[in-house]
Amino acid sequence: MIEVREVTKRYGDKTVVDRLSFTARPGQVTGFLGPNGAGKSTTMRMIVGLDAPTSGDVLVNGKVYATSTAPLQELGVLLEAKAVHPGRSAVAHLLAMARTHGIPRSRVDEVLHLAGLEQVAHKRVGAFSLGMGQRLGIAAALLGDPAVVMLDEPVNGLDPEGVLWVRNLLAGLAAEGRTVLLSSHLMSEVSLIADHLVIVGRGRLLADTTVADLVTAEGVRVVTAAPDDLRALIGGAGVTVTSTGALAGEELFVTGLSAREIGLAAATRGIPLFELTPQNASLEEAFMDLTRDAVEYEAAR
Amino acid sequence: MKITPGGVVAAEWTKFSSLRSTWITTGVSAFLLIAFGMIASASFSGPGMSAVDLALSGSTLAALAVGVLGVLLAAGEYTTGMIRATFAAVPRRLPVLWSKSLVAGAAAVVVMTAGAFAAFAGGAAVLNDGVSGVGLGDGGVLRALLGAGLYLGLVAVLGVALGMLVRSSAGAIAILAGGLLIVPGLAGLLPRSIADAITPYLPSNAGSAVMTLTPGEHMLAPWTGLAVFAGYVAITLAAAAYRLKRSDA
Repeated sequence: MIEVREVTKRYGDKTVVDRLSFTARPGQVTGFLGPNGAGKSTTMRMIVGLDAPTSGDVLVNGKVYATSTAPLQELGVLLEAKAVHPGRSAVAHLLAMARTHGIPRSRVDEVLHLAGLEQVAHKRVGAFSLGMGQRLGIAAALLGDPAVVMLDEPVNGLDPEGVLWVRNLLAGLAAEGRTVLLSSHLMSEVSLIADHLVIVGRGRLLADTTVADLVTAEGVRVVTAAPDDLRALIGGAGVTVTSTGALAGEELFVTGLSAREIGLAAATRGIPLFELTPQNASLEEAFMDLTRDAVEYEAAR
Repeated sequence: MKITPGGVVAAEWTKFSSLRSTWITTGVSAFLLIAFGMIASASFSGPGMSAVDLALSGSTLAALAVGVLGVLLAAGEYTTGMIRATFAAVPRRLPVLWSKSLVAGAAAVVVMTAGAFAAFAGGAAVLNDGVSGVGLGDGGVLRALLGAGLYLGLVAVLGVALGMLVRSSAGAIAILAGGLLIVPGLAGLLPRSIADAITPYLPSNAGSAVMTLTPGEHMLAPWTGLAVFAGYVAITLAAAAYRLKRSDA
């Protein structure tokens, strides 16, 4: 469990994280989302104790991370920036981390195997591709068999097979009852694996929600000459028909039926349809709507 | 499974020994000590010069190399980003500083003590006729050779402390070189009376006292000198520890 409580972080007069609170619970994948510069990485650095909050507190499994007697068993972390000396081999890097906690050599081999790095275990990390570096970072995060796994943009630089691997790995870790916190600026990536979403912008909490709640209802926009007849025809259990009030009352929004079903039904009674458009407000759009005002560096349009 | 002091030391040893640069820098340090000692032993003679002083004349350059070794072990973690992994594993941080100091210091003491004895043996073999030879049993010889190893070990620790304090290899090396090589030269520009009072206490002069068989008049006693140098190292370590505890990694 990760508890972030009223945390603020200032660098000089710039507030990077602003009274942020959220909880990542065991057995769930929590997606930590926000545009670049939203304060995600800074928050993660505070969770693992690299930065100290200006105010507020952060608890990992109920205590401050630095007070743990076996930190690697509490929390495994992959931060966005590389955290490995390029002159060292993957196995030496993992071994150095393992020895702090008396983790046996066999566990190092295990995580190397898990990350698919056995072939390159003795190569210098400086020669690794971005994807291999990410795999090493994930291997390091899993070294202590931690109760909480926190990954900052883990799929950056991974090939499609690697992306799938991370997705399955994280789902598996959550299913084992671990807390998984996963940051990304890509909604599409997170929505596939996260149950719980924490969305931030400019250091503030924008939404603490679930994937299901964030998706706006899918439906079909219908424009017809006989809205009342159509409403009577297709109305029923599980179907909602609402008038949008636009186009002189001729526009309806229907949920619970597909465009095809509505079109066939209208044809049987000879009801004229002018437009029949499926409306799929994607998660990505919902996310963009939510964060539009909070984008730090917006591209010129 | 938990963090133990021994575990952190073992981890630091693993980091230290798994980098090629460690072996190169250590090798260069020992080479400088031995090579310069032998060259000086073969070439120079004059009043007040002893075979031991000549054999250890490479110690100034060796100190620079062994200090760089300590700097790279510490500041290298910041320049590569490795420090994030290190502190994620050991979030209390201070054990990392103590363990790095211990590993760098112990490795330097072992290698440089051996180097000092090798320089003495090599120097004796090529010693020129103008200088009379001495044996290990002669007064102060063992003290000078063992002291050289201890001094160079402390320089490695100083390098670690500077590296952790300034977090940049280039910056720490500049301070190290400035403190050990340039400051003593600058002190020579001061008026005689002030220079004579200050010079013995400058880091490299204080540290050199322990390796000098025949101390000059403006020099501390051997072990007093080494203790003064250890004081500089302790102060730098304390400053590094303070910054480590107080500021973001």
